[in-house]
Amino acid sequence: MRYLLGRLSHALFLLAGVSILAFLFTALAPGNYFDEMRISPQIGAETIAARRAQYGFDKPLPVRYVSWLSSVIHGEMGFSFAYNVPVAPLLLVRARNTLLLTITATLLAWAIALLLGVWSAERVGRMPDRLLSWGTAALLVIPDLALALGLLVFAVRSGWFPTGGMASVDFETLSPLNKLRDLALHMILPVTALVLSSLPLLVRHVRAAVADVLNAPFLLAALGHGIPRRTLLYRYALPAAANPLISLFGFSIGVLLSGSLLIEVVMSWPGLGPLLLEAILARDLYVVVGEVLFSTLFLVGGNLLADFLLYWADPRIRTESSAR
Amino acid sequence: MWFLVSSMKVEASACGQNMQPLLKVENLVKRYARRSLAGAREELLALDGVSFTIFPGTTLAVVGESGSGKSTLAACLACLESPTTGNIWFEGKDIVKLEERARRQVRPKIQLIFQDPASSLNPRWSVLDILIEPLILKSKFTREEMNRRASSLLERVGLSPDIVERPPSELSGGQRQRLAIARALALEPKLLILDEALSALDCSVQAQIANLLMDLQSSLGMTYLFITHDLAMAGHLADDLAVMNRGRIVEQGPAEEILKQPRHETTRQLLAAVPRMIRALPELEQQ
Amino acid sequence: MRVRRTFVKWLVALGILHGIVLCAGFFAPYDPVEQDRKSPYLSPMRVHLMDVHGHFHVRPFVYSLRLREGSFDQYEEDPTEPHPVKFFLSGARYQLLGFLPCRMHFFGAGNTRIYLLGTDAYGRDQFSRLLFGGQVSLFAGLLGTGITLLMGLSIGAVAGYYGGWSDNLLMRVAELFLALPWLYLLFALRAFLPLAVSPLEAFFLIVAVIGAVGWARPARLVRGVVLSAKERDFVRAARGFGASNGYLLRRHILPETSSVLLTQAAILIPQYVLAEMTLSFLGLGVPEPVPSWGNLLSSLQQYSVLVSYWWMYLPALIMVPFFLGYLGLASSLQEREEAYKIPRSSLGSLT
Repeated sequence: MRYLLGRLSHALFLLAGVSILAFLFTALAPGNYFDEMRISPQIGAETIAARRAQYGFDKPLPVRYVSWLSSVIHGEMGFSFAYNVPVAPLLLVRARNTLLLTITATLLAWAIALLLGVWSAERVGRMPDRLLSWGTAALLVIPDLALALGLLVFAVRSGWFPTGGMASVDFETLSPLNKLRDLALHMILPVTALVLSSLPLLVRHVRAAVADVLNAPFLLAALGHGIPRRTLLYRYALPAAANPLISLFGFSIGVLLSGSLLIEVVMSWPGLGPLLLEAILARDLYVVVGEVLFSTLFLVGGNLLADFLLYWADPRIRTESSAR
Repeated sequence: MWFLVSSMKVEASACGQNMQPLLKVENLVKRYARRSLAGAREELLALDGVSFTIFPGTTLAVVGESGSGKSTLAACLACLESPTTGNIWFEGKDIVKLEERARRQVRPKIQLIFQDPASSLNPRWSVLDILIEPLILKSKFTREEMNRRASSLLERVGLSPDIVERPPSELSGGQRQRLAIARALALEPKLLILDEALSALDCSVQAQIANLLMDLQSSLGMTYLFITHDLAMAGHLADDLAVMNRGRIVEQGPAEEILKQPRHETTRQLLAAVPRMIRALPELEQQ
Repeated sequence: MRVRRTFVKWLVALGILHGIVLCAGFFAPYDPVEQDRKSPYLSPMRVHLMDVHGHFHVRPFVYSLRLREGSFDQYEEDPTEPHPVKFFLSGARYQLLGFLPCRMHFFGAGNTRIYLLGTDAYGRDQFSRLLFGGQVSLFAGLLGTGITLLMGLSIGAVAGYYGGWSDNLLMRVAELFLALPWLYLLFALRAFLPLAVSPLEAFFLIVAVIGAVGWARPARLVRGVVLSAKERDFVRAARGFGASNGYLLRRHILPETSSVLLTQAAILIPQYVLAEMTLSFLGLGVPEPVPSWGNLLSSLQQYSVLVSYWWMYLPALIMVPFFLGYLGLASSLQEREEAYKIPRSSLGSLT
């Protein structure tokens, strides 16, 4: 239990550190938030003065940090100049779109990786395993950019898939079933790109972890007891191989928001990726900071989740920490 | 095998009794403090008031089990660690009170030979590099002078000079330990501290290295502080014996007396652990 | 040793690839910024050995392209005159390796233009741009890796050797950097800096940003190596001879970090080249007219290019042999590290 509290406090410390960095970024960035606001004719001078006092711009840095932090926690993350809306709702909508892609892709990739990895580990050194190794190596050396662009070219030339975006022009007029179908069609290419780019690493790790475990004497003993092969694989070997895989899974969760940046931009999927790019090109400071904070939250959270899962799944960690 | 060694030892201990002590240790205390994450300070008392004297040309063996503080003692004497309190008088000067620069002058005179020759020699270097390292650090010799000294050092420890270009991984364990001794001799030390230097070697090799050490003692007048957990080995190599337990010396004196009539419980336990055949040998000798 | 030979093979292969890019002026037939407004978006020319009349030519040749009747962007081959491919011919001036003035090119087609990979919107030869673009992208990757490893080495060595509060502080900061998503951090830092800069400034800017972001992992690895090396007996022995801290670090401890640094280099270089490509592709990296592998692909963001001009995609695949080479290098390095260890406590020696 102490172990879990320790990991939690570690995660909170990391988030605190990142928040300080983010705050310094906003406070020290060239160009004042209020200067930008003043330029916009829609916002009156009184509003600016009130906001200024509210944000306490005249107070010392640590005080400003505390008030900034409290407003962030309450969901107020500043204002976007490019879109003319508050940052937080904008981020949430885009994050929803991104998660739609990444959750699907992550689940799919893990399912395929587990199957392929276990299948390959059973046949270590033999032809099917070697073929798979070469296949994953071939995929590994193709950069994401080439994959995404290649799929796009394929979509254009074949005409089978929509070439980007999340919805067709006539989306609103479709029936619910057709809406779903339209969404799925638009998702196929980006999800394929995501799955293909993450698959090689996952397959390699699963294969390595399971192959290690398959060599263990306790499995041979279980086999000698007459336990059927299928049970042996999935109820004995896989849990033992879980340790490194859980950490990897935590990392997969962690990059749910940030891992699809390039593919979203290439495929014009309206997620966090294109938003970040536009924000950078438009110097939309608060959107940039908000996005970095949000995705760091996921990354730290993913690692924390992995720590918790490991604690629950691996008895060795429980005994180790209680022995201290 | 040990009777080969003990006859030489008798000769060596004949001299050196009337001179000034080379090393005198007074009330040496070494405390290690560790602060755990929760804030509690854990203290480890490695040395709890250790005192002894070594005369030039003699061998003192410090015997004890793991954790009795022997290695800490070696580290403090070789100036690799600083004792918490206590004095170490070397050639009349208290080296604990010296500042870093003066201490660097004293260090070459007290050399340490480690237990595992595989880790005390840099595996990426050649034999020549290893040998001349102390010479490079200490003084400005020319290249030819250093090569000459390296060859003579190798001969002195019984190694062939044509191994100079090889890496230590190509030498056997016994050869590596000879190399370590040769390196230690490069700066002409007065005191050699052997921290379990023979424990990692095969039995036959142990005897050969021990013979080499006795040889060097009689020809160069070396003084040894021999640290070991093996009472039999200590008994055959040393003039004086000190038994350590949990940071304290529980019994010390001439080796023969202690072995014949052990007074402390620890000594008796250590003696009981020695295989009977070896214990029988001193009786055989006297016949 | 067999392991050593594999390592050398990969190194040689990578060396050849890098060498070709280094001598881009020689291997490329044309200057990368030279425009040919009369021939925008030409498709790659085919090299023939057999002409339309059925004759076999020993020397490969190309047909020049002309506009098809009735179309304004469709080209076809003009079979009236075969133009042989000439090797080692004199062409546009360039500077080999940056300082040797030279005019000789590896191949060309004499009085006509040969476009092996087609042309872009301004009629610039894609093949030449690919080679010169490689200089920018590869150099960015190598330089960025150098910066990261230098930072990682210094910080890791200080943290590992001196320990105490400096170690704690530095490792906490490293954890902070590792907690941030790398690509996002890269983009955010790039956003912080001016956007409209000259190609040279942009290059050094992104190299600095890429290099500065990734120091944390190498620093941790170096720290681990330094921590364990510090306690090795040969280091303590050297201290016993009167060695100073500087000597110990320089002669004993830092050489131990070489294998970690090499492996990290083999992993980081392709990663950083890809980072430069991504930044340039999105318009945040090296701008026109200087070619880089990234901005060579940026025209693909337009739908019309995607539909009609498929050869603009080809630069995306250039990274594949390089990635393969670095991957092979990294795994052979790891194997080599396993093989290079002293056997402990010699049993059965009789000297």
